[in-house]
Amino acid sequence: MSNAQAVGDLVSQPYKYGFVTDIETEKIAKGLSEDVVRLISSKKDEPSFLLDFRLRAYRQWLQMQEPDWARLGYPQIDYQDIIYYAAPKRQEKKASLDEVDPKLLETFDKLGIPLSEQKRLSNVAVDAVFDSVSIATTYKEKLAEHGVIFCSISEAVKEHPELIERYLGTVVPSNDNYFSALNSAVFSDGSFVFIPKGVECPMELSTYFRINSGDTGQFERTLIVAEEGASVSYLEGCTAPMFDTNQLHAAVVELVALDDASIKYSTVQNWYAGDENGVGGIYNFVTKRGQCRGERSKISWTQVETGSSITWKYPSCVLQGADSVGEFYSVALTNNCQQADTGTKMIHVGPRTRSTIVSKGISAGRSANSYRGLVQIGPKAAGAKNYSQCDSMLIGDQAAANTYPYIRSQQPQAAVEHEASTCRISEDQLFYLQSRGIGFEEAVSMMVSGFCRDVFNQLPMEFAAEADKLLALKLEGSVG
Amino acid sequence: MIRPDAPVLLEIRDLHARVEDKEILKGVNLTIRAGEVHAVMGRNGSGKSTLSKVLAGHPAYTVTGGSVHYRGENLLDLDPEKRARIGVFLGFQYPVEIPGVSNLEFLRVATNARRTEQGHEELDTFAFEDLVRERLKVVQMDPAFLDRSVNEGFSGGEKKRNEILQMALLEPLVAILDETDSGLDIDALRIVAAGVNQLATAENATLLITHYQRLLDAITPDYVHVMAAGRILRTGGKELALELEERGYDWVDQELAALAGEVA
Amino acid sequence: MTASLSAPTSRAAWLERWLSQLPEPSGPLAAVQQRGRQALSQLPVPSSRVEEWRFTDLALLQDLPLTQAAGTSATAAASSDAVGLCLQLDGSTDPLAGVALPAGVQLLSESELAQGLGHTLAATGCHDHWPVELNHASAGRVLALRVSSRCKLRLELHSSVSTGLLPLRVLLVLEEKAELELCQKLEAHGSGLTSLVLEAHLARGARLDHGLVASGCSDAALLAHLAIEQEPESHVALTSVTAGWGLARLEPRLVQVDGQATSTLRGLQLVGGRQIADTHSHVLFAGPEGQLDQLHKAVAAGQGRSVFNGAVQVPRAAQRTNAAQLSRNLLLSDRARIDTKPELEIVADDVKCAHGATVSSLQTDELFYLQSRGIDAEQASGLLKRAFCEEVLRDLPAVARRWCPIEQWQLEDA
Repeated sequence: MSNAQAVGDLVSQPYKYGFVTDIETEKIAKGLSEDVVRLISSKKDEPSFLLDFRLRAYRQWLQMQEPDWARLGYPQIDYQDIIYYAAPKRQEKKASLDEVDPKLLETFDKLGIPLSEQKRLSNVAVDAVFDSVSIATTYKEKLAEHGVIFCSISEAVKEHPELIERYLGTVVPSNDNYFSALNSAVFSDGSFVFIPKGVECPMELSTYFRINSGDTGQFERTLIVAEEGASVSYLEGCTAPMFDTNQLHAAVVELVALDDASIKYSTVQNWYAGDENGVGGIYNFVTKRGQCRGERSKISWTQVETGSSITWKYPSCVLQGADSVGEFYSVALTNNCQQADTGTKMIHVGPRTRSTIVSKGISAGRSANSYRGLVQIGPKAAGAKNYSQCDSMLIGDQAAANTYPYIRSQQPQAAVEHEASTCRISEDQLFYLQSRGIGFEEAVSMMVSGFCRDVFNQLPMEFAAEADKLLALKLEGSVG
Repeated sequence: MIRPDAPVLLEIRDLHARVEDKEILKGVNLTIRAGEVHAVMGRNGSGKSTLSKVLAGHPAYTVTGGSVHYRGENLLDLDPEKRARIGVFLGFQYPVEIPGVSNLEFLRVATNARRTEQGHEELDTFAFEDLVRERLKVVQMDPAFLDRSVNEGFSGGEKKRNEILQMALLEPLVAILDETDSGLDIDALRIVAAGVNQLATAENATLLITHYQRLLDAITPDYVHVMAAGRILRTGGKELALELEERGYDWVDQELAALAGEVA
Repeated sequence: MTASLSAPTSRAAWLERWLSQLPEPSGPLAAVQQRGRQALSQLPVPSSRVEEWRFTDLALLQDLPLTQAAGTSATAAASSDAVGLCLQLDGSTDPLAGVALPAGVQLLSESELAQGLGHTLAATGCHDHWPVELNHASAGRVLALRVSSRCKLRLELHSSVSTGLLPLRVLLVLEEKAELELCQKLEAHGSGLTSLVLEAHLARGARLDHGLVASGCSDAALLAHLAIEQEPESHVALTSVTAGWGLARLEPRLVQVDGQATSTLRGLQLVGGRQIADTHSHVLFAGPEGQLDQLHKAVAAGQGRSVFNGAVQVPRAAQRTNAAQLSRNLLLSDRARIDTKPELEIVADDVKCAHGATVSSLQTDELFYLQSRGIDAEQASGLLKRAFCEEVLRDLPAVARRWCPIEQWQLEDA
């Protein structure tokens, strides 16, 4: 196919967020030990329960093995060659944005996330995390009027220790897996959201993660709790500069939904993916899990994964409460030498629980894109229902698309249905669009975004356009 | 409508083309002026569909000789999308399905690409909706089709109507309709033909590619060309189509054989 | 799964004991036996710690009597005619004794055997596979036949065991455009293990229609490997039915060496009581334009467990592959369990690959429809369950179809 090359070229475009902010950073020495864990905790002035939590996790981590079942290919990570804490100097307390280093504000401006009062997004509250620390959170006061807590997790540890103690590590226990244990030991910052009973969060909440340092790992921790009848929509975005070394990102996200609560969690992940030969890029090992504890609660994950050299990520739902609902909508685009192993786990525990999985994988270049998912129907989940759909689009004949859907059912009064298909952009489809005056690039981009439409439709309106743009960006380039 | 002084829209000279290693067009000559309706008839494999694909710029076909000029411009130099934007339209025999891409959005992007080329302003979503609703009437199409993916799950007749709808929106100067009648029942054929007739003006021209007389009962051609073995073998008025209908294509073979004899 | 000597694996005592009690290697398979025994003494016994065996722990084999079955009861008399052969396989006696081979069928010579044995196993990635090595270690006989070019043969293979170990080894070579209809019946009536390793090589244009009906009992285990190598334009239709085994592990492994072949896989497994049935199928398209049509069905009742893993590999060489796989499962009891996992790996852009999986009980609206026509609930559910099975059974060759008394199968409810 003469156009295959052209389509391949299209998905290779320069990374736009690869710049480095020149800012003085306070870093601790490389390496991980019990002392480092204590040092991080003391830098953050943490209560003892949290230090204990970290130390316990660290000791568990020492006993654990790095998982290899996803068969991802990457050189052994040297955990002693990573800096576990880095923060821009002069950060201290940021009572107002005026005290934030202008260089940082400028950085977020450049990333399209203006924080200053004049320019900030009108209906989205943003928590901006730079390397290991949160540097600013917008609209805090307005949210507080509704009883909504939205702040960095470090701040929450100080201001709301009882909530942190009650919920932290209850959805993803520190020993859940190798990377969650590591994160639990050394997590630096992240966001905390608490929506009290009956409150519908008045605006979109968003955290923007920026890795700036070249030798620092990022270990953020996010915790979202929606009490009875509460609802919230939350979005995270991520970028990093281009380095020819790999940075480790091992995050943990925990969501708790009580009776009738609903949490919508969207991710647009655009970490640096490495160059066309696979040099550099982020190793993205993330544990995300939501627990529908309450009856009729709902947790919905939407992710658009376009970056990272390696993605290992399975945002999951534990559907405990009767009639609770879990959703997973995913677009994963891999190109060059990127490897993505992503999917979800839907664990049906309670009766009449329902889940929907829609996964769209696009593989180009020499990349490998795997969907790995588990749908488990427990013995008590009578009346449970799952529907899964996993589609792959292949661009070029060197990219891999794999599908590994695990299904386990122990409940006859439940129905599980899984469908998967593959497709490509056919020459005839391209010609058809072209013969109506639509340019090659736009034709490809229309078809790719058409392929992803079911997922994009799930994104909050403010971000749907952004995701479409991001994909279009990834598809931008000269026609071959 | 034949007007000898009307401007020439399409000028095909000694066109040769192949697909993979097979030569299919072996010297096609054809001149189309504004206001004219031409019909190219011929058996399967005669090269008539190839002619339409080559004119639209399908990448699988390679032009090996000859020229095609559209309003004086070398058409063969242009990308398929450029040809569409300057007013050359191909109605496909088998319109392809494009899952996920909304028909409405597709029509809007295509229409705006054509408008931009003509120096008109792009239409916003609302203005376009008004336009498309009006043009839907040309082919008596249900607006519900706009919300579906391009051609996905359309019946044969619906696909062909969608083609004519695109023609109504893009307002081409040369419309090439490849076997537009195939797979249509009588009612659908009537609607499609009425649409084509309605869109024909003194400024534009239509090139019908067909197998059968029945389309020509509904759309009266000014010229009928018989194609065989990659060439136009004979040209006449609409009565030539009737003759073909009566005598079948066998005489074409005889004529071809005679021709081969002459060459030899 | 390779084990090195430097890292000794946890060798099970029962296996050691079993190995030590085997008679000295002898006969035409002596070398194979030797290798199998050596492999077994080094390979770990598959356990749930290994992904491939996550749901099927072979440790339970240790409770079975694994001394070679003494004699078996004939279920059909050995016979032959112009186009057909009916043979008894008991693992020890010569199945061809006193049987005249029809024209177009030959026994493989010793050198052909040495060359051919294990070839397809290797091509389908079965070497160092524990259950295969178990067969190698113990099998004393092999039925090795060649069907000549353009010849047609019907072959019936009957094996029935009452207790102990029955190792069966079959090697079939189909020359160009040869056609073989193979109906194979495996029965177990008491505690023991039936181990089948079948290799089939299909030359260009050859056709194999294989119906395998395996019915066991709750203290019997079945380990069956069907390794099939297909050259272009060959056709394989493999339809397998397993029912009644305490443990049944079936591994159909197909490779289309240059693509352009057609493979049709049909599987039905029934579990009740505390039975486990596990099918791990594997299809590799090593060339372009291959076709696969796979349907696997399972019915799990009682405390039965059904496992299906369907791997399909479409590497870069396999452009224009068309593969469809469907796993449909009927879960009839709240103490039964179904695990199913399609597994699709593609590195080729111009392919059509689809798979699907469903797990559910009988459709209530279908039941209701039948009931509303006056059929009582039990009868209605029986009808629907039979219809579910019939979709696979109807693809069995007629002879094998008669071995499935579906009306008598107890598809028990909760």
